[in-house]
Amino acid sequence: MSYSTFNRKQFDSLQEPMFFGENVNVARYDQQKHPIFEKLIEKQLSFFWRPEEVDLSTDRKDYLKLEPHEQHIFLSNLKYQTLLDSVQGRSPNVALLPIVSLPELETWIETWSFSETIHSRSYTHIIRNIVNDPSKVFDDIVVNEEITKRADSVSRYYDELIEKVSLYNTLGLGKHHVPGKGEVDVTLRSLKRTLYLTIASVNVLEAIRFYVSFACSFAFAERTLMEGNAKIIKLIARDEALHLNGTQHMLNLMASGRDDPEMAEVAQECRDDVIRIFVEAAQQERDWASYLFKDGSMIGLNAQILSQYVEYITNIRMQAIGLEPQFATKNNPIPWINAWLVSDNVQVAPQEAEISSYLVGQIDNDLDEADFDDFDL
Amino acid sequence: MTSTFKEDSLHRVKIGAKEVLVTEEEPLLPQLERSGLVLEYQCREGYCSSCALKLVWGKVYYPEEPMAWVQGGHVLSCCAYAKSDIEIASL
Ligand code: FES
Ligand SMILES: [Fe+2]
Ligand SMILES: [Fe+2]
Repeated sequence: MSYSTFNRKQFDSLQEPMFFGENVNVARYDQQKHPIFEKLIEKQLSFFWRPEEVDLSTDRKDYLKLEPHEQHIFLSNLKYQTLLDSVQGRSPNVALLPIVSLPELETWIETWSFSETIHSRSYTHIIRNIVNDPSKVFDDIVVNEEITKRADSVSRYYDELIEKVSLYNTLGLGKHHVPGKGEVDVTLRSLKRTLYLTIASVNVLEAIRFYVSFACSFAFAERTLMEGNAKIIKLIARDEALHLNGTQHMLNLMASGRDDPEMAEVAQECRDDVIRIFVEAAQQERDWASYLFKDGSMIGLNAQILSQYVEYITNIRMQAIGLEPQFATKNNPIPWINAWLVSDNVQVAPQEAEISSYLVGQIDNDLDEADFDDFDL
Repeated sequence: MTSTFKEDSLHRVKIGAKEVLVTEEEPLLPQLERSGLVLEYQCREGYCSSCALKLVWGKVYYPEEPMAWVQGGHVLSCCAYAKSDIEIASL
């Protein structure tokens, strides 16, 4: 079943599953099987921004004044972010476009991936501004052992899906002899399993790994350092919140069986594997935290606090896709992160703001019903 | 609860050991924050899902359908309005 860039068959795309149905033909957005992807496209387009709009001249001065171990934290974090967005700027397209079957989802994937290329371009903008030789930073990403270890875990599922789908698209379903691999059995079931695990690992990448890196970026800004960088990361975080919405929807729609009944079985079968993907990623992020802070921590953030945040955010993300939380951490150890993550266009209620109405606010726990009886409006 | 409150405009929110009075004029999150609670959030407009809490009992409503997927038994505090007395819990 080879891919066609314009499927000549006549079919009702509202009846197609998200993946592994017909190749999309007409790019039409007047109707959607899953309106969420159309909403995500609109929202992502409204978020468009350019890295050059953010001035980084003070960041350069700040960077030069950082302690060496703080420079290590800052640059390593930036390298990790560069790696993650290098993967995200291409992989949704390469892995998912050949198998997508809904026009709104196809365009969401392209819009999503395109926004990641903005993120990548913003790292170049940052690195150019703070160091004299950007190549020293970029070149290290493919040789630094700590980073390449991470590259392996973030690209593994994508690569496996891409390999299987290319066999499927060239040779079709069935047993095939693949040089160097032996006999490979390409079934729709195994393709769907690999797809489900891939989407789960992408959700981990964007909803957990990225947030751990955001915490490091904002920890500098909490000390009024590297604030231009923080502005850029804020814009990236706003985009990532949309991206994780997309993968959460894909996973939840698949598990619900509302999109493709077989996918609900696949989701059930893969449940333990998905839990393992989340737990392993959390462990990798904790290991990464130890590497970041190996030469010393910074005010407000150290390996232990960052590891607790990893556990906390992993619990939240697991529950968003209907999985049981796996860690004991119940509270956000760095609650200040949310004030950085929130978009500038949204008003945040100040914690200790004066309560304008006596009706609204905290009630003493020991008030009983009777205390309210003379409360007349 | 028996009181002279207009049933449909003012509600009690039980969260952990705490009780907070809220109106129907504003989503839960800012009202709970003003009572001193520190809650998780990012977008504050319904698309990131990080403000999800458990809805133990009671009714909430969303004037607009939020973009985030809302799991059964969860409530998105940034865009949900109380419709009755409710009990919520952190995830
Ligand atoms: S804060 Fe984003 S959905 Fe509520
Ligand atoms: Fe990104
Ligand atoms: Fe992303």
